[in-house]
Amino acid sequence: MVGRTRLGELERVIMDQLWTLDSPATVRQVHEALSDSRDVAYTTVMTVLDRLARKGSVEQIRDGRAYRYRPAVSRDELTAELMHQALDTVDGSDRMAALLRFVGSASADDADAIRAALAELENGRPEQSPGRAESDRTDGTAGSPP
Amino acid sequence: MTHSTPTVLLTLALLLAGPAPALLSRARWPSRVPRAALVLWQSLALSALLSALGAGASAGAMVVAYDHPSVVLVVLHASALLLTLVVLARLLWSAHVLGMTLRTRRRRQRHLVDLVARTDGRAPGVHVLDAGRPLAYCIPGLPSRLVVSSPALDDLADDEMTAVLEHERAHGRARHDLVLEGFGALHNAFPRFVRSRTALDSTSGLVEMLADDAARRRAGDVPLARALVRLADAPAPAGAMAAGAVTPAARIRRLTEYELTRRELTDAPVVTSLAYLTAAALVIVPTVAVAAPWLAAVAAAL
Ligand SMILES: [Zn+2]
Repeated sequence: MVGRTRLGELERVIMDQLWTLDSPATVRQVHEALSDSRDVAYTTVMTVLDRLARKGSVEQIRDGRAYRYRPAVSRDELTAELMHQALDTVDGSDRMAALLRFVGSASADDADAIRAALAELENGRPEQSPGRAESDRTDGTAGSPP
Repeated sequence: MTHSTPTVLLTLALLLAGPAPALLSRARWPSRVPRAALVLWQSLALSALLSALGAGASAGAMVVAYDHPSVVLVVLHASALLLTLVVLARLLWSAHVLGMTLRTRRRRQRHLVDLVARTDGRAPGVHVLDAGRPLAYCIPGLPSRLVVSSPALDDLADDEMTAVLEHERAHGRARHDLVLEGFGALHNAFPRFVRSRTALDSTSGLVEMLADDAARRRAGDVPLARALVRLADAPAPAGAMAAGAVTPAARIRRLTEYELTRRELTDAPVVTSLAYLTAAALVIVPTVAVAAPWLAAVAAAL
């Protein structure tokens, strides 16, 4: 059996392979291209391509008695979809986010408030970062009142 | 005595669903002890829910207390019971729908991240996206995944990145997603005109504070604040701002306040203990004081 993480990794490698090819590839072609760099069974490649097809990431094209595969979407499109979801621009279920973002985007007004808050924090206590030298900041005047 | 049970429970439910969240959301102490406040919110929600269900169930079942109930009484009590069942069903359905929606979206995210993200030596164990905007987030699950866009990786100093990653790992470790999912399900279960976002917004904010506290312990206040500034810079796409949630500016001001009042924070253990005591009392007292005598009475009547 192939573990889930490894399947995920194989999906990526195989998509990379398909993205570099100009024309739809057979399982054999993909397998041969991969076997230069890694030890992977023909049937595993078939399984992964089938999974990718079910998830809509590759297209299956019947070619005689075999199937050929090609990417259904470009890498850029997938990245755009990821960003789109991560930035919360799609949200059906009452704005309940599926992902936990480090920080939400700020409006122009907020941006000023954020910078002011940072200035206050930095002025209040110039010495920071336990056990760490500040590399990109040298204006730390000691204890100047806000 | 037991005739008053439904009334007492209903009153309690209304108090816990209306004034109590309003008060708690406006209080200032939760930002100092977010963990205790989060527990209090959870117990408040649980207690309100149990009281409401208990009120309906006890009203419905009280019909057994009469020797010869009239038809009207039977119908009234049966309706109370039915209403309770409807509320319970809506709640379960809402939890189910939300759970499915979130799981589907996270599965899709994990799949996409598997396909397009790369690794980077600067942030081991993190999925790096070659995208146009600085961004960092965690896909909840077991294990949770950390995703960072390459502009974020380029822009942030090492200690700032440490703060970001520790913040996200804290979310993953403490399963904050499950806490929020619970409040989300509760929120969605009620009709639009009666529900409020108070509990969901407050708990979302507390969860961010808890993760911030983990980050500041690891990386320090200023790196965390700088990371917040850099990653909040991206202007929001129209309509994407969540209203009422804790803003990045508020999160930075909280760090400053915490520093300034560190010496005055000696009352934190007291506040914490009070919050936990209240949380425990909210769940235990109604159960023991109201529900237990009623259960005994029903048992005796049967
Ligand atoms: Zn967070």
